[in-house]
Amino acid sequence: VIPRTDDPDTAGFFDAARRGELAIRICDSCGTVLHTPRAYCSACGSWDSSWRAVRPTGTLYSWTVTRHQVNPEFPVPYTVVLVQLDDAPDVRLLGHLPGTPDLTGGQPMVARFEETAPGVVIPQWEPIARPAEHTSAR
Amino acid sequence: MTDVGAAYRPYRDRCAITGIGSTAFTKRSGQTELSLATEAALAAIADAGLEPADIDGLVRCDSDNVLHNDIALALGVRNLDYYGENGPGGVAPCGMIGQAVAAVLAGQATNVIVYRALNGRSGRRWGQADAGASEALIGGDGTYDELVYPSGLFTPGQMWALIAQRHMLEFGTRAEHLGAIAVNGRERANANPAAMMYDRKLTLDDYLAARFITEPLRLFDYCLETDGACAVVVSGAERAKDSPHRPVLVRAVAQATGPGVSGGESLPILLRGPSLTTLMAKTAADVLYARAGLGPSDIDVAQLYDCFTIAVLTQLEDYGFCAKGEGGPFAAAGEIALGGTIPVNTSGGHLSEGYIHGMSHIVEAVRQLRGDSSNPVPGAATCLVTSSPIPNTSALILVAP
Repeated sequence: VIPRTDDPDTAGFFDAARRGELAIRICDSCGTVLHTPRAYCSACGSWDSSWRAVRPTGTLYSWTVTRHQVNPEFPVPYTVVLVQLDDAPDVRLLGHLPGTPDLTGGQPMVARFEETAPGVVIPQWEPIARPAEHTSAR
Repeated sequence: MTDVGAAYRPYRDRCAITGIGSTAFTKRSGQTELSLATEAALAAIADAGLEPADIDGLVRCDSDNVLHNDIALALGVRNLDYYGENGPGGVAPCGMIGQAVAAVLAGQATNVIVYRALNGRSGRRWGQADAGASEALIGGDGTYDELVYPSGLFTPGQMWALIAQRHMLEFGTRAEHLGAIAVNGRERANANPAAMMYDRKLTLDDYLAARFITEPLRLFDYCLETDGACAVVVSGAERAKDSPHRPVLVRAVAQATGPGVSGGESLPILLRGPSLTTLMAKTAADVLYARAGLGPSDIDVAQLYDCFTIAVLTQLEDYGFCAKGEGGPFAAAGEIALGGTIPVNTSGGHLSEGYIHGMSHIVEAVRQLRGDSSNPVPGAATCLVTSSPIPNTSALILVAP
């Protein structure tokens, strides 16, 4: 499953991901978040917008474990996570985790950038390891 | 701001559903979808006491493979003065009735056929992923699928599972609550000889023991896949007086996108908005009740779109039958069963009667108000019908005066 990364409304998301950044589309004139991404800002009437890098962190909004295979490229079981961005709470993004990791609602998540095809980078999401665990490992 | 209730008031009860028709609901019809649509439409036309030549309007669902021209030819109409389309998919049925009502009241048609036909089991199966079936790049052109499919999320079942999980996180909803909705549908189907699950019992233990498809949703949280068709005839209310049946009037209809709908067809609703547990059904409910001059306590029976059990649960809340977050305990307490506060999906619904993409709910509503349901609600005079609550939605209230 290779996404189109050149759609005029969403290409900036994938351009940023290629640079290892998570970006959302913002109205240049009034700062409204344009998500799902689009050109026109209904809040102020502007057609000018930019992709702005945000922190690649969020919290786990919901998740589902897929047990019944629906696509041969995605062997089951796997987990689809829905993450609410820390820097833009009205923006949620989906991610894929293999297997059935232990998850808790609201737990902190971080994006990792996966090159799934030449030139196609997808921000995926995984739980942030608890700092205490790092400490004890040292 | 327009007062939506006052603006609609002159149109209350001005149109009727004068005829209903259904094919058998099967796993393999052996017929084309055109034949299914034709059979259901002919049955509805006959039920209304009309001839195909009396049909001058038609409204179809955007997902239907049967086009206006196809069915006009098949029925042998003289001319379709009016035709329209609604969607996406399961959002359409109540909105289609709304278009038919508008066409009749604006003098653009006198008898409008509204239909949905699909070989939903033997033909294209809606729960299957299309993506990956070809080498083409995914998404773009306003679909936003490029932001969805790389996560492995392809199907409505996965989307509703995320909504169910979120409802569990916010309100403590449990599997037993969803199970009560599955069992309710099955018990009604067990009394409905036309239901695909007429002779298949389901207990809460059976529900809980069934396999997960997309956690937290199990097998019986999912609706059926069905070959079949339903159709109805919408006419002016004065024509209902000539009908052999008890008149069933369209009190009011509403459609809603809300201000916060997502782009794309349906899966992208996950990506934005203030809530996944209050859906556009809440906006539709506010408009519908204002237009109807009725509230949830005035509704005698409800046919709620049930592609998944969780869809019923959120609509119980959004249409005001219980408080937000209380849908699970409300269902588990028997309030949606016959004899409960609001009997729901008295045919068995999509979970257990058959999946005709929201159209069968309208047919059952008419049966119920005529007193012809296999699960009659004694004295029922008002019925709420809803269509898919995602991404936008539609709903209507029928009354038997």
